Amino acid sequence: MINQVTLILLLPLLASFINGVLGWKLPRRMVEAIACASVGGSFVFALKVFAAMREPYSLTVYDWLSFSWFPAPMAFHVDALSATMAGMVTGVSFLIHVYSVGYMHGEEGYARYFMLLNLFVFSMLVLVLASNLPLMYLGWEGVGFCSYALIGFWYKDPVNATAGRKAFIVTRIGDVSFGLALIWLFYFAGTTEIAVINAQAVAMMPVSTATSIGLLLLFGAAGKSAQLPLTVWLPDAMAGPTPVSALIHAATMVTAGVYLLMRMFPVIGISQTAMMVIAGIGTLTAFYAATAALAQRDIKKVLAYSTISQVGYMVMGVGAGALTGSLFHLFVHAFFKALLFMAAGCIIQALHEEHNIFRMGGLMDRMPAVFWCFLAGALALAAAPGTGGFFSKDEILAAVFSQGSAYYTALWAAGELTAFITAFYIFRVVCLVFLGDVKAEPRKVSATMRLTLVPLAVLALAGGLINTPANWGGTERLSELLGSQGLAGNVQVTHPWVVQGVSAFVSLSGIGLSYYMYAVNPGMRERLALRYSALVDFLYSAWYLDRLYYKIFVTPYSIVADFLWHRVDEGAVDRSIEGAGLSLAGAGTALRAYVTGRASTYIIATVIGSVLLLIYFTWSIR
Amino acid sequence: MVPLSHILILSGIIFALGVVCVTVRRNILMILIGVEIMLNAAGLAFVAGSLRWGMPEGQIFVLFLMAMAASEVSVGLALVVYLHRRKKSVNIDDFRELKD
Repeated sequence: MINQVTLILLLPLLASFINGVLGWKLPRRMVEAIACASVGGSFVFALKVFAAMREPYSLTVYDWLSFSWFPAPMAFHVDALSATMAGMVTGVSFLIHVYSVGYMHGEEGYARYFMLLNLFVFSMLVLVLASNLPLMYLGWEGVGFCSYALIGFWYKDPVNATAGRKAFIVTRIGDVSFGLALIWLFYFAGTTEIAVINAQAVAMMPVSTATSIGLLLLFGAAGKSAQLPLTVWLPDAMAGPTPVSALIHAATMVTAGVYLLMRMFPVIGISQTAMMVIAGIGTLTAFYAATAALAQRDIKKVLAYSTISQVGYMVMGVGAGALTGSLFHLFVHAFFKALLFMAAGCIIQALHEEHNIFRMGGLMDRMPAVFWCFLAGALALAAAPGTGGFFSKDEILAAVFSQGSAYYTALWAAGELTAFITAFYIFRVVCLVFLGDVKAEPRKVSATMRLTLVPLAVLALAGGLINTPANWGGTERLSELLGSQGLAGNVQVTHPWVVQGVSAFVSLSGIGLSYYMYAVNPGMRERLALRYSALVDFLYSAWYLDRLYYKIFVTPYSIVADFLWHRVDEGAVDRSIEGAGLSLAGAGTALRAYVTGRASTYIIATVIGSVLLLIYFTWSIR
Repeated sequence: MVPLSHILILSGIIFALGVVCVTVRRNILMILIGVEIMLNAAGLAFVAGSLRWGMPEGQIFVLFLMAMAASEVSVGLALVVYLHRRKKSVNIDDFRELKD
């Protein structure tokens, strides 16, 4: 039976198939229409499924490996978490698909582009809706592949292809860890059904096992979500087209790791240690990436580090047991970060592929629509009071603060510091790009691109309505929905006003300081940059983490590979085989002298041979 | 009765003569004759064995041997005639095409 849940998944897959197989023959408009319509349809069905959902349910579409001891049916699980997530993914994807029509205008390979984009949406939905871990892993790998293929979309430039490979390999390291956790969970629970594992986990799992599995899951999530220590691929992933950055590397795929942690939260929640490590990693990543974003000159790199930082907040939320807060922030972040990326794409295209923010300026009057949308996104990212970002980030910070212990309070303080840096770096971009003198004259960008920014800008500003905290007189819709199905985590927020007050102060002061340094008094900024140039370098290179990894992993690896190639393979294996061949050839040359062609020679040889054989046989009989 | 060892020695001498004939002569006809002599030497040994152990199989084998020798000679001679037509020679050293 084809029902709405399957349709959510099938539409993008079908569109991907059509575009992949026939796309090169179809007219461009048709390819674009198929791609957008399928995701749009998927979005409609996701909304219908969400609206019709009363309580969690699973449905099996197809049995797979049903005879083995490791059954992995194509089964989908709809509950508050997966349904809202599917709605967000399809909705944002739809807008970005439409935006892509404008952005990819005039690019070759549009069929391949839309095929991969649709395939990505399908894989992401598989990941989100999967009811068992192997199927989730399938989606997990699917999005990884699409990410790789789309980062290297302009594969003719080797830099882009390398960036794609780097992303693929680094995330693969995390995937191994996820795979181990999967097998361990199966070994323990005897099933791969997520709901069953979660239901049984609390009763049967020892704390030490839960800690190990939780840490393995964290490492897997770190790969996909670009958390420490696997952050390095995301900044390079900006080599892909901007809509891809917006969709995959900001709104959806990078949040898959957080989603995984939320899905498996009942298991993780058993272990206090795992929770503390998760919260610590999240906070550390948020702080690390925010500082790195401070010094970036490429507008997309700023946003990339900002994404890492914001995903760090979500991981921190999971570590504090605030699933609602994390999911809330995941949604709002998807809106405003997609918006920021898309606006940045407009700017980049308007300025003829200029990425450097120091060569932009004064675009406020030239591109007012983009400016207001970017400002909306920037306010949400800076968590200015009243915007969506304020409520969502605050919910995470409040949850961390409410844990009460010294460790979590320290994390909260670091989170607030990061919030200050966040407000500072994003308004640095706003001031440099939109204020000041015009440094390059922009050309017009297509109306499609500008129009898709508007709904996202509205969502970014008004996203708080999803889950307005009670002390603002709102209803916490998301909390109630998740709570009714036991998915809300385990945190009680205390002192909401205190945390909100600090957050608001921190955010506004960050914005203010940034405005002062970059718009009012730029001379001071230049003096500071000169005096602390070593620090600027350090931050620009993202704490030299990339270089460190090169020293520790890549260089020894290439030395070993070089040794194995030149010494072992070429030196030992190849040479021994060549030696065997050459010695046989030499023997052949030597023996050729005896082939005279004279029959008498052969006869004599036969006779001598027969005599020798005769002697041998006589000898051996005796 | 003639002892077995005498007949075997005779058979060995004849065989050796055949071998010498085959190896030393260059004429193809003589080589063929050498082969025939060797076959007959073997046949003689068979008959001797048959007589010694009183079993008829040796004699039957000699009959086969004769039939085989006759057919072999006919094919061999036909080949010799053919070779002679090609090169006007029956010297074995004139036929070295196998080497190339």
